[in-house]
Amino acid sequence: MSKPVFRIWRVGGVGLIALLTLAACVVGGYGGDAGVGYVGGVYEPGGYEYGGWDGGYRVGPPRGGARPAGGRSAPSIPHGARGGGGHGGGGRGH
Amino acid sequence: MIQSTLSPCSLIPRVLCSVMMFLSGAAVLHAAPSASVVLPALTQPASAEHHVGKVIWADLVTPDVAEAKRFYGALFGWTFREVPGDSNYSLALLNGEPLAGLFQKSQPAGQAQQPAWLTFLAVRDADTAQAAAVRLGGKVLAKSHNYPQRGRQAILADPDGAMFAVLAAQGGDPPDYLPEPGEWIWSSLFVKDPKGETEFYKGLCDYDVYDLASEGESGAQHYILSGDNYARAALNALPADSKRRRAHWLNFVRVTDVADTVQKAVGMGAHLLVEPRIDRHGGRLAVLADPSGAPFGVMEWSDTDSKQEPQ
Repeated sequence: MSKPVFRIWRVGGVGLIALLTLAACVVGGYGGDAGVGYVGGVYEPGGYEYGGWDGGYRVGPPRGGARPAGGRSAPSIPHGARGGGGHGGGGRGH
Repeated sequence: MIQSTLSPCSLIPRVLCSVMMFLSGAAVLHAAPSASVVLPALTQPASAEHHVGKVIWADLVTPDVAEAKRFYGALFGWTFREVPGDSNYSLALLNGEPLAGLFQKSQPAGQAQQPAWLTFLAVRDADTAQAAAVRLGGKVLAKSHNYPQRGRQAILADPDGAMFAVLAAQGGDPPDYLPEPGEWIWSSLFVKDPKGETEFYKGLCDYDVYDLASEGESGAQHYILSGDNYARAALNALPADSKRRRAHWLNFVRVTDVADTVQKAVGMGAHLLVEPRIDRHGGRLAVLADPSGAPFGVMEWSDTDSKQEPQ
């Protein structure tokens, strides 16, 4: 038979390990996302089609003058060189 | 003999103890990488600039990072660097500046899922943006998560199901400038309900929204989302010619010659999704799927201040 002091150590040890297990699982956390290192990537649903753009379909940025009749003039993308201060003019059209 | 002295009562705690030790060890090892992933800041030195709503990063998820490196390196001149703490994640750089991440992840077996580029929008606070997205009808795909040096990010889906991420960059956002060939230049969002989506993204990133549908001959709903007085992204109605279309973001890399780039990409295993065509800015653009199937766009952009629109 084990002496009482060893039994206490054994119970304490098992309890500590159980606590460590629980804590590690909690740190691993939400849906396993934190447990796999970086979580930036997600697969998208597959089996879909792309394109189908007709002749008037536009997806690119305006040049800075695109304005529907009676509408506001949409701005364009930044035009300054890197390190040269992209702001200045704001890319807004006429 | 020891074996003869072990009763079932004494065996149970030992077995239990062994199982728990194994589980705790496995759990600790499983959790460890997240704490040690070190991603560089988007801007070095740190920038004091914040451009809410600007597309500031993109991550590719693919089952074959080695193939992705070969493809994008040869096509755009990107170079690559490993990051400490996660052997599945690499940085893509152009002229030494990080511009994308490549994330190796096993493709789920038996599920119709495809590799994709994930678009990152700049926000001031990822947790606030995450809460706002839910309030506005979106979903959280991966809760906000902190990466030392880079910042805090969350992966979301808008009400139409288009996946994207928000990032509150710790060192500030990259400054505004005209991207060089090989850099991301533009992003477009394709959805079923453009009007409703403008409300979602306006609520999320406080965009100024410009309705340009009336200028297009197709009459398709089309908006420009702008911030800081710059166009940040286009929001388009998905073509109604097929029901097999899904809401998605699409990012474009600036190139000097779309036709040449397409030819080169196809020669390296890419698939052409949208043939080269002239867009409103007067330059050509095309859409490809890389060898793993992830869609991306290529776009010409003249440095001149031409206002010429395609006829």
